[in-house]
Amino acid sequence: MLDFLFSGWGAFWVTMGMLLPFAGMFWYVIHRKSVVDSGPGTTPPAKLSRLEGYWLTAVFVIFVSINLASLKFMPIIATARAATGGLPVQEVQFTATSWSYEMSVREVEAGKPVRFAGRAKDTQHGFAVYHPDGRMLFTMLMMPGVSKPTTVVHTFTDPGKYKIRCLEYCGIAHHGMQDELIVTKNKAAI
Amino acid sequence: MTIATAIVQGTPIFGRMFTVDKSTGLEEINAWPAAMIMASFVWLAVAGLLGLVMPATQMFDLDSGHFYTTLTLHGAALAFPFSFQLMVGVGLHRSGGCVGKPITGWLPAMCFITMNLGAALLTVAVLMGFKVSLVVMFPLPLVGAQMGIWSMNSVILGFTGIYLVLACMILLYPLLGLSMLFFGKKRQDLVLSERSLNDPGMLGMTLSALTLLIAGLPLVVVGTTLLLALYGVIPMSMAAWAAEPVVFQYVFYIFAHNLMEAMALMVSSAMYATLPLYLADGTRKLFSDKLANTALWILLLTSITSFLHHFITAYPNQPASLSYWGNIMSWGTGIGAAISIFTVLATIWQHGLRAEPGIIAVLLGWALYILDGASAMVTSNVAWAYVLHGTMWQSGHTMTVILAMSLMWMGVLYHHYPVITGRKLDPVLGTWFVRLFTVGGFGAAIAMLAGGAAGMPRRFADWNQEGWMLYGNLIMIFGLILGASFVVYAYNLLQSRDLSDTLGQRVGAT
Repeated sequence: MLDFLFSGWGAFWVTMGMLLPFAGMFWYVIHRKSVVDSGPGTTPPAKLSRLEGYWLTAVFVIFVSINLASLKFMPIIATARAATGGLPVQEVQFTATSWSYEMSVREVEAGKPVRFAGRAKDTQHGFAVYHPDGRMLFTMLMMPGVSKPTTVVHTFTDPGKYKIRCLEYCGIAHHGMQDELIVTKNKAAI
Repeated sequence: MTIATAIVQGTPIFGRMFTVDKSTGLEEINAWPAAMIMASFVWLAVAGLLGLVMPATQMFDLDSGHFYTTLTLHGAALAFPFSFQLMVGVGLHRSGGCVGKPITGWLPAMCFITMNLGAALLTVAVLMGFKVSLVVMFPLPLVGAQMGIWSMNSVILGFTGIYLVLACMILLYPLLGLSMLFFGKKRQDLVLSERSLNDPGMLGMTLSALTLLIAGLPLVVVGTTLLLALYGVIPMSMAAWAAEPVVFQYVFYIFAHNLMEAMALMVSSAMYATLPLYLADGTRKLFSDKLANTALWILLLTSITSFLHHFITAYPNQPASLSYWGNIMSWGTGIGAAISIFTVLATIWQHGLRAEPGIIAVLLGWALYILDGASAMVTSNVAWAYVLHGTMWQSGHTMTVILAMSLMWMGVLYHHYPVITGRKLDPVLGTWFVRLFTVGGFGAAIAMLAGGAAGMPRRFADWNQEGWMLYGNLIMIFGLILGASFVVYAYNLLQSRDLSDTLGQRVGAT
């Protein structure tokens, strides 16, 4: 459930979940008070103040809950879990240059954490990994001139060919800056 | 006749839309705003056409170079000389009428010149090959020149254009706004609707001007250094610190993020000022001024440092603590929005609403802004940033915030237009504009967010893979509807009738 919630489509439905009740409330109030009856409202101010309290409390609780639930998906948490999980961490080091990637390896094993560490050589570049079904799993932003490589730790669950795309505009052949990563079956499980 | 009035009168087609009314003695607060609003619509026409070219290049499989040219020009024209200049024009007209001070002298003239000359220079540079996107993507301009993709001359011209636009936004406009608010003598003959700083309709204007000035100053320093080096006034070695990508990117986003927030403060303030004028019972008061001001202060305080969400995916080069701070502050802006939602709806609930096209445009623009705010909060969450950053989601967010504010300002303009021109707009055409803009604006926003959710990259000239063309087609369709709404709005401006013309009421009476 949380895995879906913190995916791209999860983000879309959470946004729609915020928009649709607002849109309904917005339409109802404007329609009611401009078309049905535009006369002064009879709701006592005290009742409106109570409603204000309920509304702001609900918004606050929803905002805090969503953000607390997202903690698990922060990269620093994934890095810490990989470090303490007991499994060997696979390393993929790469350098992004207009308009290609130099990668230390292009094949990793499913089920074992992979630490991606990348740098940009000339201008800003991205490194987005797409599942074979088209979903984006994560993206990284690399800026030239920084002291540390940008890193993400990710554990692949499905073997297959994963597309890599640059998502930071880097010039006229930006859309051609793509590569592939092969994820093989977990050898321990075979 | 002032220079500004002459500029408007001398401009074909667009000048006819904004001919300044000289009969009321208000030319001193009407002329420069009219010139700026007129110029903003010229840029809207340019931006609109370019916006449609982008999906067209994908559908008809044209050269990707055209896509990146239009990408850079469309974004820059929409954000700065259209949206910002429209805000400056209508905002200054509001300020002038609220504080009773003329909008004359060198400051408004320089605002007009720097914004339009800067945008024109940037346009020429882009046509020369300088394809760096709306957000410059530093150090891409210099790298592109080194790689021979575009010439160094186009870089110098482009940077000069950007610098002039920034000078208008960061220095000249805020100084003009603040000098009108705090200095000079009030003239009773220019007071149209007197307001104090405690008034939410005024507070946002002040906060907005201060935000632009303070958040933009670091970028002015960096930009000045780079420009001096590009022109050979100082050696490149002295500008090396400013050319560091991290330095440039951080000062750029401190400004660019807060520019959007400053524009939001400004337009929220305009909404708080305009809504009471359309209440059915004639009370002319918000549900609570205190609550409205609280929303503006929360928006200001939370937004200042929320720009850090732009660099979440650069971890650990941006420490996790700063990313999470940017995350929390971004969601904090949602608390301000929640207060604002309650204030607006409670005001309408208590006093009823005269649903005229202007105020409906303002309210629907604000609703679009709420959708945009929700999408911005979601993408600012650390976890979601990793699956949305760099996708069409963020193009959708940027486009929606600009469209939402533009719709709100175009709605506010309905209220100011008769004062500026002495003419009135047709409410039936106004209603059609609102309908079309709402369908086009919400449709394009949702299509782009869906594209982002599906992983469709932004600023990417190859949509025909992974099924992304579906979202491209939807963006094109809703973009055409948006374009139609602008045509209706422009036609309404062109055929506006004199306030004393009773024929004008024939259509308006329906």
